Amino acid sequence: MQKLMAGLVVGVISIFAVSAGFALMQQMTRQFTLQSLSGNDISVEQALLVAQGAIDACKKDNSVITVAVVDHVGGVRFIVRGDGASPEMVDNARRKAYTARTFRQPTSTWMEHTAIDAVDEKGKPIDLNGQQMLENTIAQKGGIPIIWHNDAIGGVGVTGSKGGGEADEACAKAGADTIADQLF
Amino acid sequence: MSHRSLMLKAAAAAAVLMIAPQAAQAQSSGLTSEQALAALRAVQAYAKNDGSDPSLAVIDRDGNTVLLLQGNNAAPHNLGLAQRKAFTANQFKMRSIDWRDRTKPGQPQASERETPKAIPLGGGVPIMVGNEVIGAVGVSGTKGGQEGDTAGAQAGADAAAALVKRLQAQN
Repeated sequence: MQKLMAGLVVGVISIFAVSAGFALMQQMTRQFTLQSLSGNDISVEQALLVAQGAIDACKKDNSVITVAVVDHVGGVRFIVRGDGASPEMVDNARRKAYTARTFRQPTSTWMEHTAIDAVDEKGKPIDLNGQQMLENTIAQKGGIPIIWHNDAIGGVGVTGSKGGGEADEACAKAGADTIADQLF
Repeated sequence: MSHRSLMLKAAAAAAVLMIAPQAAQAQSSGLTSEQALAALRAVQAYAKNDGSDPSLAVIDRDGNTVLLLQGNNAAPHNLGLAQRKAFTANQFKMRSIDWRDRTKPGQPQASERETPKAIPLGGGVPIMVGNEVIGAVGVSGTKGGQEGDTAGAQAGADAAAALVKRLQAQN
């Protein structure tokens, strides 16, 4: 009887030992296995909807705009130049979209935040003006980020509306809002 | 009034007359966003049949960008390549695949390949209205390689040209 009990205890302990070893191995495998990232990105279809939304919003006062939509790494997804716009407006819209994407905020907010005399809520100088020197950014209103799960997966930039930067940004916002129901 | 001043006035009037229609012509040849979007839809229709996901560029006759689109799963080079193909077709007023063949090493025109931004690869097609090139479409990333890209771009260029012709018929 005693022999049987001892055998049982040894059996149970060895099962535990084996399974613990197995778990440890599994953990190590997980740690040492390379995993590629799968990112979320704004699609061609979504970009076309966003651009159309911005164009439609700006039609209210007969503005003809240039719209750019950038993807999650800030590269061009879609750009269409407004009729009669000067050639450099294409890059202008792209830079607005890029700036909104990379700083994950509307360009108007970013401009205030990075202004030379910007202060925090305690009145302390922020001094982020150097961000405005980064390549591809532009300190102009009219860029809106496209946010999904607290991260920017793209950006939209508008230029050329009759109402200036603020109207550009309102149209960009209207564009981004057209796919808001897809981003939850 | 002297004979000379009369002649000067006549010359000035003739100059004004000559400038006016030229200016009007230059204005009417700008590629519109509507025409570029028609090209986009045609290329997308081609891609749907093809089961591919191409990038494309539409430029006007001055070589300036009217429309750019990067495919969903495009490789990093696709959009820039589409732009260069469009540039090539517009610059040399022929399909970039024909320009590629024409400028093969050993050919008299081989040194044309040194033109900055031009690229000897198929996929760029000029938008033709009659004998006039009013811009170009460049496609990169279809399934059929350079021939496929050329076919896609041709569909786009034809769609844009059709809109221009319709506009001309209305006027």
